[in-house]
Amino acid sequence: MGGTSTDYGYSNKTFGVYAFGFILCIFLTLVPFYAVIHSIASYEYLAAIILVSAVAQFFVQIVCFLRLNTKTEQGKINVWSFVFTGVVAFVVIAGSVWIMCNLNYFMMH
Amino acid sequence: MNSKVVAHAHNSDAADILGFWLYIMTDCILFGTLFAVYLVLHTSTSYGPSLKHLIDLNYVLGETMFLLLSNFAFGLAIIASYRKKGFMTSLMLLLTFALGLAFVFMEVKEFIHLVHEGYSWDVSGAASAFFTLVGTHGLHVSLGLIWILVVTMQIMTMGLNGAVTRRLTYLGLFWNFLDIVWIFVFSVVYLFGAI
Repeated sequence: MGGTSTDYGYSNKTFGVYAFGFILCIFLTLVPFYAVIHSIASYEYLAAIILVSAVAQFFVQIVCFLRLNTKTEQGKINVWSFVFTGVVAFVVIAGSVWIMCNLNYFMMH
Repeated sequence: MNSKVVAHAHNSDAADILGFWLYIMTDCILFGTLFAVYLVLHTSTSYGPSLKHLIDLNYVLGETMFLLLSNFAFGLAIIASYRKKGFMTSLMLLLTFALGLAFVFMEVKEFIHLVHEGYSWDVSGAASAFFTLVGTHGLHVSLGLIWILVVTMQIMTMGLNGAVTRRLTYLGLFWNFLDIVWIFVFSVVYLFGAI
């Protein structure tokens, strides 16, 4: 195997998984760029393509590159701290946008 | 007899890595706040120019590819380090460095171009938010580049011992994290900005 024995909570990187993730990432980058450069669809569809590709590439990188997993105790701690951070980031971003939109709305009406 | 010592070293190593992971999580929140600022301010162009006509998507695609390739080269360095091939690891780290440097170089050139076109950071709230978000990411990448050089030198002088391998793991988490943040930067700022 040639892996390290220490448990950092990340699975060992193997070339196969890595190369697979890399090809997927290139694909998921080219698709939205192509779609927007050639504006192949209406705004709603383009927005959907961008968002879906971004989220898909995010998960590909988490799984294939960072190798987050829940197989070991350490891995579970990593994943849960990550999920917690996601919740905080969501509250910060969605909360800010929500408040500012509301503010804007009530200034105009 | 040695199992207790080994177990201790093993646990403290894992705790160190977890600590670094938690630092990266706080950095996520930093970028989260900058994204929130950008989302709130990106329409506030006041009387200044808007970003839309200044974005060259082919150029940004080039930047993105350099960062992605750099990330992949780092993965090859990690794989070489598992096989205890110090020279190969250093070589791949230098490749990572070169590709990352190309990314930073392109970004700085783009910033200079934008300022020449009148899209300076002081013309509007949108421009300030843009330069803060993209600039903070670029600053992280630049610091990562220095760090890559330091770790490469450590591998060359000390070899792939336990401490150096651990530092390589930290650096890997950091470098991968920067590429993940970039996915959202190019999607939210450049692609949505260009529609």
